[in-house]
Amino acid sequence: MAIEKLKEVVLKVLPEVDVIIGYRQGFDPLHATPFFITKPEQADQLIWNPLCVQNLCSYLPFLKGKVGVVVKGCDSRTIVQYMQEKLITRENIKVIGVPCLRVISIKKVMAAINQQSVQNVTFEGENIIVKTSEGQKTILVTDVAPRKCATCQLATPLQYDLLAGDAIQSNKPQDAFEETKEFEKLSLEERRAYWEKEFDRCIRCYACRNACPLCICQDKCIAESRDPHWTSQRDNVTEKAMFHMIHGLHLAGRCISCGECERVCPMDIPVAKIKNKIGMDLKELFDYEAGMNPEDTPPMYTFKLEEANIKEHEL
Amino acid sequence: MSSIHNPYLPELATVIKIIDETPNIKSFQVILNDPEKMKNFTFEPGQVGQLSLFGVGESTFVINSPPTRLEYLQFSVMKAGEVTSAIHELAEGDQVGVRAPLGNWFPYEQMKGKKILFIGGGIGLAPLRTLILFMIDNRADYGDITIIYGARTPNDLCYKEELKEWEARSDLNSILTVDAEFPGWDKRVGLVPNVLKEVAPSPENTVAITCGPPIMIKFTLQALSELKFKDEQIITTLEKRMKCGIGICGRCNIGTMYVCKDGPVFSLTQLKELPAEL
Amino acid sequence: MADTGFLPKENLSALLEALSKKFQVFAPVLEGDIVLFKRFASGVTLCLTRPANLPPKGIIFPQSEALFNFNFKKDPEDAKKVAIELKENLDFSPTIIFGSRPCDAQGFRIYDRVYLETDTADPYYKGRREKTTIITLACNAPSPGCFCTSVGRGPAETEGSDLMMTELENGYFFEPITEKGEEILKEAGLEDGSAYKEQSQKLHEKVSALVKKPFTTLEGIPEKLLSLFDNNQFWEEETAKCISCGACTYLCPTCYCFNITDEQVGNTGERIRSWDACMFFHFTLEASSHNPRPNKHQRLKNRVGHKFSYYPKKYNNVIACCGCGRCIRYCPMSVDISEIVAHAQGA
Repeated sequence: MAIEKLKEVVLKVLPEVDVIIGYRQGFDPLHATPFFITKPEQADQLIWNPLCVQNLCSYLPFLKGKVGVVVKGCDSRTIVQYMQEKLITRENIKVIGVPCLRVISIKKVMAAINQQSVQNVTFEGENIIVKTSEGQKTILVTDVAPRKCATCQLATPLQYDLLAGDAIQSNKPQDAFEETKEFEKLSLEERRAYWEKEFDRCIRCYACRNACPLCICQDKCIAESRDPHWTSQRDNVTEKAMFHMIHGLHLAGRCISCGECERVCPMDIPVAKIKNKIGMDLKELFDYEAGMNPEDTPPMYTFKLEEANIKEHEL
Repeated sequence: MSSIHNPYLPELATVIKIIDETPNIKSFQVILNDPEKMKNFTFEPGQVGQLSLFGVGESTFVINSPPTRLEYLQFSVMKAGEVTSAIHELAEGDQVGVRAPLGNWFPYEQMKGKKILFIGGGIGLAPLRTLILFMIDNRADYGDITIIYGARTPNDLCYKEELKEWEARSDLNSILTVDAEFPGWDKRVGLVPNVLKEVAPSPENTVAITCGPPIMIKFTLQALSELKFKDEQIITTLEKRMKCGIGICGRCNIGTMYVCKDGPVFSLTQLKELPAEL
Repeated sequence: MADTGFLPKENLSALLEALSKKFQVFAPVLEGDIVLFKRFASGVTLCLTRPANLPPKGIIFPQSEALFNFNFKKDPEDAKKVAIELKENLDFSPTIIFGSRPCDAQGFRIYDRVYLETDTADPYYKGRREKTTIITLACNAPSPGCFCTSVGRGPAETEGSDLMMTELENGYFFEPITEKGEEILKEAGLEDGSAYKEQSQKLHEKVSALVKKPFTTLEGIPEKLLSLFDNNQFWEEETAKCISCGACTYLCPTCYCFNITDEQVGNTGERIRSWDACMFFHFTLEASSHNPRPNKHQRLKNRVGHKFSYYPKKYNNVIACCGCGRCIRYCPMSVDISEIVAHAQGA
C-alpha cells in the first residue's frame, strides 16, 4: 500500500532531518493539508492519495536546517529549478518522491457534487467516491483532475533521494502547450475580452503569488512597491492585469507548471494559462523548459550576444 | 459635504519656515490656511499630527511646538522614507495638509509639583521639546527640570539655538552629550544612558520622560531601573507605521492598544502590560 | 415587529426588479462556478444555494475608494505658487444587499463598533451603512468549514440584518428585524407570512444543530491567547503551513484593516483607501526598515489574536469572527483558524 510505504520512508528519514513536510487530512474529507512532522508518532497521521494537491516545496527556501519533503512528479521540478537558481542547499533537503498519476481538483469535484458539503471520501481503483447529503457519487479521478495532470510526463519524480514506491511511467499525451495553442486560435479582441472578464474578479489577495514556489520575493513584491511604482491601489482591470503580467513575466523561464497559482485562486481565475503561454514562448525562443535539468541555466539569467532563435535584425 | 466631521480630510496649510536642524532632520513651521481654524486650534502637549503631501502620502509627527505658543505648528521630520523624503523637498510657501491633533498627550496635570527629568536622544528630543517649552511657559507649576540630551555627533543635535537658550537658563539644568569625542566639542562625551547613570538623579518625587532611538530607550530604561525609578514614574512615546491616525485601520495596534489613539504617550506600567511586540 | 411576509419562489426576480427601481440592489449572482454579489439586473443568474465566495462587505466598505480628490492649481501670476483644492467623495445611493447570509451581515456589526461608535466616526462607512438595507437569507445547511454557532452566532442570527428571509418549500418567509426592514417589507407588498413562522423557526433550529462545533468553549479565550503571546513554539507550529497571502483577510466578513495611499497623474490625484491585510510583511514595516512582525507566525498570531482576544477585550467579549468558514475553505493550504483556537484553548 502506497501510504504504508510512505510512512516507512518518512520514519527512516526523520532522524536525519529537523522536520519532514508531508500531508495529513484537512478540515473536511475532501481536503488534505501540509503537515510538518517532527516526531515519529506523528507519522500515523500521514496520508497519500489524490487529495494531496499542494506543492510542498514552496516552503523550502524559507526553512533553515535539514528538511525532508514529500514530492510528486510535478513538485519535483521545483527542486530542480531551486537547484538551478541556488535557492536551496540540496544536501540539506531529503526529497521523498512518491509516484503519482494524477490528483483531483477540489473545484472540479465540488462542481460535480453540486457544491454540497462532503461527508466522506474514498478512493477505489480509478474512482473517487464522494458522499454528501444528496447521496453517494462515484467519479473518475481523470474527469476531475486539474489540466496539468492530462499531459504530465513525470509519474515518477525527476529528483528524489528516496522513492516511496515503485517507479512508474506516464503514458499521457506530450503536448503541455495544447491549451495555449487552442486559445490562440481566438482573435486578439476575443482573447482580450476573455482576460478582461477574468481579471475583473481579481481581488489582489496574492494567494497565487504566495503559493508559487518560484515567487520568493513575496515580502518585497514589486506589485506592492511605491518605489518603483508600477501598480496602484486602484481597483480596476488595468491594475489587476498589470499585476498578473508582472507576475507571469517574472516567472518566464522559471515557472515549472505546478499549477498552484490557479488552484489557490479564490475567484477561480485560470491564471496558469498565462504561465502556460509564457512557457510555450520560452520553449520556442530558447528551447528551454524550467525545472528539468539541474545543470541548466534559466534563459533569463543569461545573456548571449547572438541568440539562436531570435533573429534581431529580422524583427 | 459630510453630516459629520470627516477625520480623513486634512486642513490645508502653508509652510512658513523651514529650519535645517541636522543633516537629515528639518523642522517645518506651518499655519492653517483658514484663519478661523488657526485661531481656534488647540491641542495638548504630546499630541501628534498627520502631515500630508498630496500625491505622495501622509506621515505622523508630534506637534513639536507647545500649545502655549500657537502662532504656528511645528513638525520636526527625519528623512527616512518616501513621504519624509518628499517633505524634505518642500520650500517656504508650499501647501501641505494637516490632520491634527491626534492621539493622547503627556499627563502634565499629574506632573505638577514634581521634579521633571527629560532624557532624549537624537530626534527623540522632538516630543520632549513640546513639553519642555510648555513647562517653561508654566514654570511655576513644576519643580526642578533636568534635561539630559545627546546625539551621535554635535551636528546631529536638534534645536541647537534652543539648547543654548536652555543651557543659559537658571531654572533648567541642561546636560548635553555626544556619543564620542568630536573636534570642537568641549562638553560631555558619552552615550545618553551612561550619562544618566553618571548624573544619577534621585527618583524622589520625579517623573522621567524619555524618547529616542529604540536602543537608547532600552538602556535608558535599564539605567532608570538601576536608579530605583518605579515603572509608573517613567513615560515614553512609541512609534509605529500609521495610516488613519484615528484607531480604525488596524495597523498600529499592540494587543488591544492603538498607538495612534491610545498613545503615542505611554507609561512604563502600561507598556509592560502590552504584548511584547514593539 | 408584527407583520411578516411570504413570497412564492417564482416571484423572486419580480420583487428584485421592483426594488431595483428605488435602490441599487446587490444579490448573489452565479459567475462560472463561483458566486459573487453583483448589481441585480434582469437576466442575471441568481444563486442562493451557497454563500458567495466574497462576502458583501465590499458594498459598504469598497475594496478601493477615493476618500477625496486633490487638484493642484498654479497661480496665473506666480508659477511657483500652487494652491490645492480638495473634494470629498461622500455621495451614496440607497442600496439593498439581498441574499446576505447571517454571518456576512454579522460582519457589519463588527465594523460598526470600530467605524461608528467612536468620537472620530468614519463618514464614508457611515454614509453607506445608513443608506443600505440588508436582507439576509437564513442558511438551510452549513457550508464546508463553517462554525457560526461556536462564536455566538447562528444560521438564522438576526443581529446585523434588517430583514430575514427563510427558504421554505414553495417560497420565502420574510421577517423584519429593524425599521428599515419593515419599510422594505411594506414596499414589497407581500402576502401575510404568519402561517409560515413556526415552520421557519423549526428549520432554523434544525440547521443550527447541524453546524460543526470546533471548540468545547470559548470561555476565557482572550486571556488564554494573550498568555500564549510569547510562546513562539506554539505559534510557529500552528502557522508553519501558512503562506502569508491575504486571501483569508479579503474574504473575511469581519476583517476591516485598510491602507491609505495617494495617486497622482499630472495636476490631479486621489487619496485612496483600500483593503489591506495584517498578513502581509509590509503591513507594519516602518520607514527605518524595522518591522515589529517580520515573521509569518507573528502576523498570523496577530490575526487570530485580534479576532479572538483584542477585539473581545475592547468590546464586551464579542468575538470578531462570525464563523463563516471562508478563510478555511479558500486558504491555499487549508489553515484552519478554528483548529488553531481550539489548540490554544487546550494549550
